[in-house]
Amino acid sequence: MESLSTAMDGVDRVLGNVPDQKEQVLARSKECDATRLNLSSAEGYLISRIDGATSWRLLREIGGIPSDQVDICLSRWIAEGTLEIVAGKAPKKAAARPKSESKAGLTIADAQSSASAERVEDGYLVTDEGALDDRLDISLNIQKRILEFEVGLGRPYHVLLGVARGADPKTVKRAYLSLSKEFHPDRYFRKEIGGYGERLDRIFKKVLEAHEILSDPELCQVQNLSANLNGAGSADLAPNVAPSVSLLDSVESASQSSVPSRELSKLERLRQRMPFKINHAAIAERRARADEIFRAAQASQQSGRLTEAEASLRIAISFDPGRSEFKEALGSLRMAAAGTRATQLLAKPSDRMSSGELFEALSLLEDVLPYRPHDPELNERAARVCLQLGRLDDAREYADTLLLRSPESAPAHMLLGRIHRDCGEMDEAVSAFEKALKFDEEDLEARRALASVRIGARDAARGEKS
Amino acid sequence: MSRVIGIDLGTTNSCVSVVENGQSTVIPNSGGYKTTPSMFGISQDGRRLVGHLAKRQAITNARNTAFAAKRLIGRRFDDPEVQKTIELSPYEIVRGPNDDPRIKIGGKTFTCPEIAGIVLREMKRVAEEYLSETVHEAVITVPAYFNDTQRQCTKDAGKIAGLEVLRIINEPTAAALSYGMNREGDEKIAVYDLGGGTFDISILEMSEGVIEVLATSGNTFLGGEDFDRRIVQHLIKWFEETEGMDLRGDTMALQRLKDASEKAKCDLSMRDVVEINLPFIASDSEGPRHLNYELTRESLENLVHDVVEGTLKSVEQCCVDAGIQAQDIDQVVLVGGQTRMPLVQKRVAEYFGKRPHKGVNPDEVVGLGAAVQAAALLDSDNDMLLLDVTPLSLGIGTYGGHFARLIERNTTVPVSKGHIFTTTRDNQSAVKIRVLQGESDMAAESDLLGEFVLSGIRPAPKGEPEIEVSFDIDANGIVSVSARDLATGKEQSITVSSTGTLSDTEIDEIIQAHDIYEVELKG
Repeated sequence: MESLSTAMDGVDRVLGNVPDQKEQVLARSKECDATRLNLSSAEGYLISRIDGATSWRLLREIGGIPSDQVDICLSRWIAEGTLEIVAGKAPKKAAARPKSESKAGLTIADAQSSASAERVEDGYLVTDEGALDDRLDISLNIQKRILEFEVGLGRPYHVLLGVARGADPKTVKRAYLSLSKEFHPDRYFRKEIGGYGERLDRIFKKVLEAHEILSDPELCQVQNLSANLNGAGSADLAPNVAPSVSLLDSVESASQSSVPSRELSKLERLRQRMPFKINHAAIAERRARADEIFRAAQASQQSGRLTEAEASLRIAISFDPGRSEFKEALGSLRMAAAGTRATQLLAKPSDRMSSGELFEALSLLEDVLPYRPHDPELNERAARVCLQLGRLDDAREYADTLLLRSPESAPAHMLLGRIHRDCGEMDEAVSAFEKALKFDEEDLEARRALASVRIGARDAARGEKS
Repeated sequence: MSRVIGIDLGTTNSCVSVVENGQSTVIPNSGGYKTTPSMFGISQDGRRLVGHLAKRQAITNARNTAFAAKRLIGRRFDDPEVQKTIELSPYEIVRGPNDDPRIKIGGKTFTCPEIAGIVLREMKRVAEEYLSETVHEAVITVPAYFNDTQRQCTKDAGKIAGLEVLRIINEPTAAALSYGMNREGDEKIAVYDLGGGTFDISILEMSEGVIEVLATSGNTFLGGEDFDRRIVQHLIKWFEETEGMDLRGDTMALQRLKDASEKAKCDLSMRDVVEINLPFIASDSEGPRHLNYELTRESLENLVHDVVEGTLKSVEQCCVDAGIQAQDIDQVVLVGGQTRMPLVQKRVAEYFGKRPHKGVNPDEVVGLGAAVQAAALLDSDNDMLLLDVTPLSLGIGTYGGHFARLIERNTTVPVSKGHIFTTTRDNQSAVKIRVLQGESDMAAESDLLGEFVLSGIRPAPKGEPEIEVSFDIDANGIVSVSARDLATGKEQSITVSSTGTLSDTEIDEIIQAHDIYEVELKG
């Protein structure tokens, strides 16, 4: 704990003869007193994994630091006489017992010693030692503790709280309260603590989250499941390890813990967390009501009471916004309601409409489009009307949607070209017209437009020169 | 460093406490009383009177004596609670420019935070007299059901009183803190708070000096006044049967009945039988009628039995929310004057299977707890920690007018939570994040705290973009909300600041006006 960045001390002395020893099982020698070794916390974590049962190969995976550094540390300790080789093969149950009791409880102190073993980059722990500041209203020891704990925030929740996986709610709670007492920002209310306020905030939130998940069996299961899926290598590790359940758990979690903070995207972690529980019963009830109202709406529609049907449909949608058939029904209902006027209006080419008609057509289209967002005809209409009205951004959006659906339609490209031209984007306009010609070589309008754009461009270039 | 006081700003009475040498003490006022009426009056000759002085002249000067401002604070004028108070109040309540209720006494209009501020200033003065030093900071308690606006208004009241409010804490939490001080070991505590107008039940867990709120429940329309009403109804019915006269239309008679009923109820906590004597309650052609009735404790208990049972329903709900059985509760703390009633004590004891804690005074325990929290925050010797919670759920409005709750009420703070949301239309390029607060499932029924737009979402079919919305509440209760498009990394955020019914400039104006008044008083 004292020195944070000395994991590599004495590395140079022992290199070589490592990889062949993978199946060796190590134990601490009797003279060894781990407390006097002056280990870094990463080393402390590693040595705490050495129990006379775990093989070297396994240690490389669960040591919490890159495997080559595990090799280096182990070699060094063997050379120093701290460790001894117990056997060439993993011994069975008996050898696993000595450590198991301390693991089962995995006290908070244990967790502390392993706290900063988490994020190791190139063998150096990334605690922000520069943050230590003796002018603050908070002792250096506590500052160190905060820094170390913060570095390990990415660990699995039960390791974070310092409890065994599957620990009973009481133990979880006690660990949570004890950590709260240590890290709650109120402990340093009104104290001069510099950047530590934010650190405490972050730590406490994480501890809170850990408690919330671990004390909820449902969330905990989701968490474990996804952790197992993501924990690289843990699946094939499990059978090799001695059958003490708690030991197995801590080994497994440790092996994941060296990886996941980087492997799991934030998105995945968010998904695992499931911040709110879904009230399925309430949703089912809403759905049922939505169905009921929908049927009522259909009945109204059949008997010609369109306004009533529309109101019912809206209510149905508000009860179950996810159902597309409701929206489609509403869309077609509105189409029908708009009736002859719409047909009449939309049959007229947009460039022959008065501006009043254009606005009416647009509002009609905007009413209907949300229910049939991909309909090529509607999109084309909307694009043309918008173009005519000078709403070029909207026009482009509709034209883009249209092209998404019918990428080989010459009129669509033609339309896009005209929009680009009106926007003053001549290069894009030219390429759109060219595409229109490609799909329909007979398109005279496209030819003409293309020519005129090119002439315009040439004139502009000439004008600039002169 | 000057000391920090704890104030229980009550509807009828307030109480100020301080922690001295590791002991919490209620500070008595100059009259020797431990509680001070939350009253403010302007006498006929224009003098401003607070506390006992105001109460003493309240009967003769009812129109110019303001009380129960707590019922109005932080509410809209059209709030049913405000309308109910208007009906019952002898003083005038008018609509203020911010649509807030204001109290008109002595020809002047006062805002509710101002009235509360005057009471707080009196409590500050009481404390300063006792401690012989100036006091600048306080922890103030509010009911658990108070929303953000009501809490902020209480803070503003503190500011008007010249106090910096370190924290606003819930009354039941304060009661638990007071009980838990200097106590070792793990305990689960139920705080049963039956006040004049509301009922609150909270279950808290105390472990190694950390106090955590497990659940809160209650009924804002159930309280001691319901007991009075039952007696009044009983008396009206009895009078109708014996005298054949209906008193319901006579407001004067009703007020007298109400006062007498309240007094009888209080007396029956000590005695087995009381006599209710109301001469000249009514008159008709045959002459004046008098009401003379003997009410026994037993008949009172029969009248209000179901009200007490109603509170136990809330208790049951609270136990379910907290995930524990009634018999798991180690200690029951009673708060509020109505808990002096033997029937309440008996039923609560039966429900939890243990006698309520006797060591606390139901009128003082909340104020003491506020002082304990002040000490816990500032005193390095004090080892207690309160894990405070959010009073109301927070979330955002979603498609179809739903309210997606990200942070449930009673969540411990500081906290941050996030969830992934998506678009509802194809090629939707922007989403509007509406930050809401409340307990309803519908956005329209929740309070809008703020809104912002996240734009520049890459065109995609609906349901495909992933927008992470995160809520963050820090230890001081400040809420910030951010939305991030996971595809582009674009982010928008706001900090939601709770606002009271007064603007900062209005508060400053009030403070200045009061300073002038203080100077006048001294000169």
